[in-house]
Amino acid sequence: MNKIKRYRLQATGYRLQAKKVKSLLLVACGLWLVAFLLGMASKPKPKVYIQKLKNGHYQLMVNRKPYIVKGVCYNPIPIGQNHEYDWWSDANKPWIVDGKLMQEMGINTVRFYQAGQNPEDVKKVIRDLYELYGIRTIIGHWLGFWEYPCPFYGDKDFQDRIKKEVLDMINTYKDEPGILFWVLGNENNYSCLGMVNPWSNEEIDKEPDPIKQKNMRYNIYYSFINELAKQIHSIDITHPVALGNGELIGLEIAAQSCPEVDLVACIIYRGKTFGNLFRSLKATFDKPIVLTEFGADSYDAYKDVEDQNMQAFFLESQWRQLYENLANNKEGIGNCLGGTIFEWTDEWWKHNENDPESWKIHDTDSNWSNGSYYFDIKAKGNKNMNEEWFGITAISQEQEFGIDKRIPRKAYYVLREFWKNPTKNLKPKTKKAK
Amino acid sequence: MKKLLVVLTAAVVVAITPYVFAQEQATKEAEKPQPKEFGVYKDKNARENHYIPSGWMGDYGDIKLNDQSADNPHSGTTSMQFVYSGKKAQGQGWAGVYWQNPANNWGSKKGGFDLTGMTKLTFWARGAKGAEVIQKFKVGGIKGTYPDSAEIEFGPIELTDTWKEYTINLAGRDLSYISAGFCWVTTSDLNPEGATFYLDDIKFEADLVMKAEVKKSEAMPFYVFADSRSINNHYIPSGWMGDYGDIKYDGASKEDPYLGDTCTKIIYTGLGAQGARWAGIYWQNPANNWGTVDAGFDLSKATKLTFWAKGAKGGERIEEFKVGGSMGEFSDSDSASIGPVILNKEWTQYSIDLKGKDMSYIIGGFCWATNVDVNPEGAMFYLDEIKFE
Repeated sequence: MNKIKRYRLQATGYRLQAKKVKSLLLVACGLWLVAFLLGMASKPKPKVYIQKLKNGHYQLMVNRKPYIVKGVCYNPIPIGQNHEYDWWSDANKPWIVDGKLMQEMGINTVRFYQAGQNPEDVKKVIRDLYELYGIRTIIGHWLGFWEYPCPFYGDKDFQDRIKKEVLDMINTYKDEPGILFWVLGNENNYSCLGMVNPWSNEEIDKEPDPIKQKNMRYNIYYSFINELAKQIHSIDITHPVALGNGELIGLEIAAQSCPEVDLVACIIYRGKTFGNLFRSLKATFDKPIVLTEFGADSYDAYKDVEDQNMQAFFLESQWRQLYENLANNKEGIGNCLGGTIFEWTDEWWKHNENDPESWKIHDTDSNWSNGSYYFDIKAKGNKNMNEEWFGITAISQEQEFGIDKRIPRKAYYVLREFWKNPTKNLKPKTKKAK
Repeated sequence: MKKLLVVLTAAVVVAITPYVFAQEQATKEAEKPQPKEFGVYKDKNARENHYIPSGWMGDYGDIKLNDQSADNPHSGTTSMQFVYSGKKAQGQGWAGVYWQNPANNWGSKKGGFDLTGMTKLTFWARGAKGAEVIQKFKVGGIKGTYPDSAEIEFGPIELTDTWKEYTINLAGRDLSYISAGFCWVTTSDLNPEGATFYLDDIKFEADLVMKAEVKKSEAMPFYVFADSRSINNHYIPSGWMGDYGDIKYDGASKEDPYLGDTCTKIIYTGLGAQGARWAGIYWQNPANNWGTVDAGFDLSKATKLTFWAKGAKGGERIEEFKVGGSMGEFSDSDSASIGPVILNKEWTQYSIDLKGKDMSYIIGGFCWATNVDVNPEGAMFYLDEIKFE
């Protein structure tokens, strides 16, 4: 073999070696890329999150699947007891009977205004509902709204104490598989208007203009919620945080000072229609909404008689509008994620919470007036809202399974049918063609 | 056999004859031309009169009727002369008359006519002097056990001193049961000196050219309140709320109006007459409509509502001024508000921003509300030039 040939062979060998190295490098890069992409793809998404679609609509996602909140507010106070009753530790477990009925109706979510005192009892309820019936839980916190003399949202010590309570709640329940999302407050924004539990501070008191005073209170309150939401997100990335709000009042301020919340959870009593609610929210504070308190009572205060048809009529109409405003419905705004009806069972203590004897009686006196529920608005003093008759399930003094017997009202069956085929039920009712 | 055939044939003929006869009758009925007119009032004692002007309302003591006035009738020998004094005999500030069938039927008796096929109601009217203002004319609207199948309003109208024909469009309306064929209503604010006016030749007509009215978006500016006698006032301050006994309302105050001859003066005593500790007034269309009547205006073109206000002393606090928000079977499409507002002693203009709001259906055109906690000694205040722009 001459030199030239040897060099050629050597060169060929180097080229082959270089080719091999190149190929190996390419394969390695390819493998790294695949591994990287796989790694990206398999990075766990939050279990519950909100997705904004290309058309600007919102969807609640649970385990990567769209989830419509079909819920009820759940506070099963038995006859003869009041709101202080610790039903979470009830040995007869009312949620077992209720959960089965809920599941049969199509309910997938319950809302608790605030967790009970004993975390182990609360976890038991959440697990039973989820494991036995697939029902998920929304847990709220009152944020000291009912504290005496008033909720001092402008006071740092008050804020720190509430913050600790809220974060303790998150840490205690965030790993429960049944948790859907958190709600901060309920109608606490009304305290900024001075309508309920008014509060102030020195700076606000110095301001002579009442409109500016109101806006200062909103700013303080919603900034506090924002801070809470930020802290919750830092310890729990798997559940959204909702701002509880009475109507849409104050949300134009929240849009500036409360961007950290993932959704709003509104209390709305507007009768047959929610009106411009969804469009108005989109325009003022572009966040998705769950109606966490809405519904109708089943007592006609004018005729002084139970009227289950009236309740069913309002509830079906309300659910039709909720569905019209879910994502990907051309007719609606696409910012609705569902709702939780107020409420699952009647509560017999509500008319007069200071009189234990009245807790054993199903009062038919009305507590307040709302013209949106127009069938019985001609009742005396226009008081037509019967606080003890909002359940879609009545309770009876007769005992069954160790608890007050549950008697589903007409609304229960009407909504059960609605949810079986909501698309069909959304269509306007037209006359059959001949 | 032949006998049997004859009997059978006879039986068949007997059996089918009534059927054939009935069929012929039905065909004749269908072919019968539908009436083209249906009279309410033509002349005193005319056979064409189908309704009686028996339903006197509001300040009925302020009304005088001469149903055979020979003073220049539009046609025939008589017309109806109404003299409305505007003296508030019953303290209501308004009055009106319904033409009913039978007389005094407020929906307790079956007396409605099926006027299907009629597409308009026409009538002739004139004022004794001209410029008399009738707040509205109506067809139907009686409630009760036997309610009218429709309620159609028309107005306000400023009359001229010569006869003029007016038309109420009824096309597309359900006229299958109308016990109240016609009605007029007016107020003492609109006619502080009273009004004498004449009506004649009131009738329903089947005019195939009439088309159902499409609700149109109102042009701006659109007044809630301009002046006490203005026909541009579109809402009535009828929705008194809370301690309504604490409110005194003067819709024609001449105490330093901001513009025009009059303004609205409101006195809130804060005495708690009904125990509510708050009070307020909604301006509604029509009066007392809490979402029970389908009568919202389409104010989609409005971007704001402006009004002028002042306190008698300055410092009076109004918790809320509001647009929309009436909730009922027919709810307002949206609402917007400002407040609390502390009034100045001088006229000051305020504005409610309506940008981004759905103003396509508004029954409650304007509202104020306040309470005794922020006005322990009550409040006297004035409003003027309330309008959508």
